[in-house]
Amino acid sequence: MSLIANLLPPSNVVIDLEASSKKRVFEQAGLLFENQQGIGRSDVFDSLFARERLGSTGLGQGIAIPHGRIKGLKDAAGAFLRLTTPVQFDAPDGRPVGMLFVLLVPEQANEQHLQLLSELAQMFSDSKFRESLLNAPDAASIHTLFTSWGPNAADERRTAV
Amino acid sequence: MAENLVSEANDITLVDTSAECLDILRDRLELRTVLGNGASPSVLREAGAEDADLLIAVTQSDQTNLCACLVAKAVFNLPTRIARLRSGDFVEHPELLGDDKFAVGFSICPEQIVTDHIRLLISFPEALQVLEFADGALSLIAVRAFEGGPLVGHPLKALKYHMPNVEVRIAAIYRSGDAIIPEGDTMVMPGDEVFCLAATVHIRQVMRELRRSDQPTRRILIAGGGNIGFRLARSIEHDYNVKVLETNKRRAEMLATHLDRALVLRGDATDEKLLENEGIDETDLFVALTNDDEDNIMSASLAKRMGARRTLALINRRSYVDLVQGGPIDIAISPAQTSIGSLLAHVRLGDVVAVHSLRRGAAEALEIIAHGSPKDSKVVGRTIDHVALPNGATIAAIVREERKADGKVMRRQVIMPHHDTVVESGDHVIVFCTHKRLVRQVEKLFQVGFAFF
Repeated sequence: MSLIANLLPPSNVVIDLEASSKKRVFEQAGLLFENQQGIGRSDVFDSLFARERLGSTGLGQGIAIPHGRIKGLKDAAGAFLRLTTPVQFDAPDGRPVGMLFVLLVPEQANEQHLQLLSELAQMFSDSKFRESLLNAPDAASIHTLFTSWGPNAADERRTAV
Repeated sequence: MAENLVSEANDITLVDTSAECLDILRDRLELRTVLGNGASPSVLREAGAEDADLLIAVTQSDQTNLCACLVAKAVFNLPTRIARLRSGDFVEHPELLGDDKFAVGFSICPEQIVTDHIRLLISFPEALQVLEFADGALSLIAVRAFEGGPLVGHPLKALKYHMPNVEVRIAAIYRSGDAIIPEGDTMVMPGDEVFCLAATVHIRQVMRELRRSDQPTRRILIAGGGNIGFRLARSIEHDYNVKVLETNKRRAEMLATHLDRALVLRGDATDEKLLENEGIDETDLFVALTNDDEDNIMSASLAKRMGARRTLALINRRSYVDLVQGGPIDIAISPAQTSIGSLLAHVRLGDVVAVHSLRRGAAEALEIIAHGSPKDSKVVGRTIDHVALPNGATIAAIVREERKADGKVMRRQVIMPHHDTVVESGDHVIVFCTHKRLVRQVEKLFQVGFAFF
């Protein structure tokens, strides 16, 4: 199982999210974390915004991984959001962002959190994976895509055959 | 202000109660306009507050600006809010500005910024521009090199021999309007506009190297006792012999009661007779600060012709500034140009502390805090010669802070970087851009990579 699977409960996958700007996406993310994990929504919002100001977390290809530290948080938490309409994100390729993985970590970020980020980056660099996320019919199937992902998923499938 | 922001490719909506003003600006600039009071929720909603990253409330009324910040935070959760607060009253009560009160993230007072700027210029009579960085630890001065200055006619590397104990950096030289990137062999010529950086404690010594010291300033005549004139008079009246000219009787009376040593005179600064009676020919500095550009230009020109040694005039219209500076007016100050930097610092991406417009907006000096590690920064952990700055931009200085355990700054070390100086996380890096169009690339360079936490 991937590292990411551990911190993404099914309830934290949202599709068809209506948001007209980066600000509103972060507000929605705050709301989600508050309702599901009891993390204060303004803590989430402020943390994500402050991090974004130092440099965009947009990866290109319509993907962003906004992340931030949260005071008092015990374990890392994640959420995946798929927007109905992509929003501007100052991404390196200039393209608006339509899919986001929001990652929150405890204040003392350590090596493990960097691993999380790098695993996410690896996932999203896989164009087939991106396509599956984009075309998945519902939140449940997106959740399955995340939990079943493995760095060598493609190889494993080949072995099975 | 909007003009400056639009030119930096921001997406702007302007709110004003004057339809006329909005029409003019909409025709000239690429922005959206909404008619109405910027402190009202419905107007802010129409202006897009729900999606906005930044609110700048700069109406004439402090109360409106405070209210706009409050509404923006409480109703729209708008993340960054800046208010213009002219009266010191509110600024002296930070408990009023907190997130649960008026929610003013940053307050600016353009009049105070302009006053401080003029005060620095007065204390450095040889300078065309004086700017401070890193809480005053580092100064940038622009001087016109004169025939007879010790360094004029010599290469820059001679500075080292002239001042072996002072670290100084020449950030740029402008010769007949063109920027020269200075190197050790670059010769300083008479008439050059030289920008140098040094620790603030050394700046006077550096100035002496470049110019014969002018005689010290003693007598100052301020024309116009408005907001800036009053602030300036109050801040310098104990150090200089100050006279203030004010046309309005009641204003003059108010000034006379609130000023301690400055002499307040009622009258018009464009009146030759009056200037003569007040000993204009023995005045070291004439400062024209009325709110009328034409009056300021005329009175300063007149004062110069009648013998005032140096003249400074406040001029709002940019085209006028270019027209008159260097003629009878030694220094023309554009209030907008002077104060826009403190706003731009919040608008720019990255941890930008200060933005200073130089050469009337053509060039820019930036103070940016470097963040991250060699893994996720294109700056931190690299030697200066491996930081990929665009041509025309240079890292002119670094200010490194030493902090105590509680996070308070204990000491600021000014470093004049060499090619092998390594940038550390937390360094305040001063970047000099000979052209404004380089700024965006520089800011991009300082942004942390995706993996930064």
